[in-house]
Amino acid sequence: MDVGRHPKINLLAYSEVEDISGYIGNFKVKVRKKARYVDEVECTSCDDCVDVCPVVVPKEHQLGLASRKAIYIPFPQAVPASYIIDEENCLGFNPIACGKCAEKCDKNCIDYDAKDEIVEFDVGSIIVASGLDVYDPTEFDEYGYTRFENVLTSMELEILTGPGGVTKGKLIRPTDRKVPKSIGFIQCVGSRCESRGTAYCSNICCMNTIKDTLLLREYYHDIDCKVFYMDIRAFGKGFEDFYRRSKALGVEYIRGIPGDIREDPKTKNLILSVENTTGNGIEEYELDMVVLSVGMVPRKDSNSINKLLTLQTTSDGLLMEVHPKLTPIDAPTAGVFFAGCCEAPKDIKDSVTQASGAAARAASILSKDKVKIPALTATVDDDLCKSCGICVKVCPYSAITIDMKAKEPAKIIEAACKGCGTCASECKFDAISMKHYNDAQIIAQIDAILEENPEEKVLVFACNWCSYPGADLVGISRMQYPTSSRIIRIMCTGRLDEKFILHALKLGAPIVLMSGCHPADCHYINASLKAQLRIEKLWNKLERKGIRPERVQFEWISASEVGKFVKTMEELEEFRKSVTKKEIEETKKILSKSKK
Amino acid sequence: MATESDFKCLRCGHWFKTNYEKNKPEERTCPKCGSNSVRPMPEKKK
Repeated sequence: MDVGRHPKINLLAYSEVEDISGYIGNFKVKVRKKARYVDEVECTSCDDCVDVCPVVVPKEHQLGLASRKAIYIPFPQAVPASYIIDEENCLGFNPIACGKCAEKCDKNCIDYDAKDEIVEFDVGSIIVASGLDVYDPTEFDEYGYTRFENVLTSMELEILTGPGGVTKGKLIRPTDRKVPKSIGFIQCVGSRCESRGTAYCSNICCMNTIKDTLLLREYYHDIDCKVFYMDIRAFGKGFEDFYRRSKALGVEYIRGIPGDIREDPKTKNLILSVENTTGNGIEEYELDMVVLSVGMVPRKDSNSINKLLTLQTTSDGLLMEVHPKLTPIDAPTAGVFFAGCCEAPKDIKDSVTQASGAAARAASILSKDKVKIPALTATVDDDLCKSCGICVKVCPYSAITIDMKAKEPAKIIEAACKGCGTCASECKFDAISMKHYNDAQIIAQIDAILEENPEEKVLVFACNWCSYPGADLVGISRMQYPTSSRIIRIMCTGRLDEKFILHALKLGAPIVLMSGCHPADCHYINASLKAQLRIEKLWNKLERKGIRPERVQFEWISASEVGKFVKTMEELEEFRKSVTKKEIEETKKILSKSKK
Repeated sequence: MATESDFKCLRCGHWFKTNYEKNKPEERTCPKCGSNSVRPMPEKKK
């Protein structure tokens, strides 16, 4: 509500973002303000229209446990606190059929002819806070969520026990409207499951159940609460105390997830079979009610915003940050930040912490006239560019634009480019070059290293962020790796063009190693995986040419994996000895004949 | 869609099977030597 009143915050409720263009500091956002069909300024929320509306539909905010009219306020704290007409269910769009709310409204606030409005904004920064959805446990048929009325989800329990809920906070059993004497909570429904729901832990469910059991035990002293769990994850300040308090109040924690739920047709009680893994074998419990502690899943409609901002998701569908440790709030698209569950499930405290961080990050951009960018950005040679669009597809930051129809050359958005070099490596026409770590500099280093006795060297391309510091740490740790190793630093393995490797082999390198960050730690989102794909193609190409693919190796080595670096270099040194001079000479001949 | 495919470790020569989806690279490790130089083998090489 404070946000709605704030003079510097423009809150657009009941609206959808239609388009976003531009880049950090200069975004243009197009928003569709949906027609409410009620004048939100004039409406005083007097309720007269609601009284005469004949249409009754389930109320979404209360998960269908209550009903609303076709003209309604979505929830009591909605901002603005004025009515909306549900276009889908309202009869008033056919004036012959209805129109009662318009007749009743003294202030003439109802306007069936209202149209959606498109508004545009210039913004410097964007915070994505699109959240997650609650998991629908219908597919867990063994729990009978769709068959037994007394099986609820944790969200439905929240609606039932909340002061603004249908029962005004009184817990009742759906089948007989009586206060239940016993209630069971089943944890991890739709979480930590590979086959159904999500593989990740939804983070909040354990503490939410503990909170529910505490509330129930405090309000209904004789209610019997049982929690069926795999393991209780009560990490965080004060959480373990909370858990202990719940147990001290008599809540029983049973380590085991029920296999199924049956219903006694007469009493409507629920019978749970569960293997108690703390040693009591298979047990059966008869309970009045069961609450499925459901997890959180990515929103079904999140794809549209992800596409507009070119955001990437993990295999679980959660939004991916630039780096999980170093920049956990930043989206890959410069100037875009995350707040709340869209990035990962989190509780209120963590959401507020992240939102504060995101607001501070956004403010740091808005407070300046100019944005600092790395001096390593890509540049396009307009004469060489064929407008094929490959660079646009591979750029992890969506920092390249192109008009393929008009055959315009690609354009680099320097403010968004981070300088990974993936575009330069993928460009088949050599139309993209990098400022620093450019082709000529890298080729010159290869030439210098392989100028004398190339057959005695193992050439390593190491990324700036992980493998190169890893090699450095070997020395700092007073460890050793074979002296045959020669390291060339590149910003990212994404920068490694196959032409560098082929050039090295052509000059007589027996072994070439590409080494970079583990893909999950890649400092350029997924550039290292793009490099892996390129190497896999190169292996096939080498084999076709009659060159052993084994001579090109790759390894993911983080900055702390000194042992792995040493082991890899020792293995490659042994392997180098197996590459004969004859083989090297043949490779040189093959590659000298090839065009590319 | 990911299907089970043959892979060859280019460090130790070990062959093994794991899930593979074309043009969807992921971090793979040889179960024998731990190297990441793991090559998806084309169908005809089986």
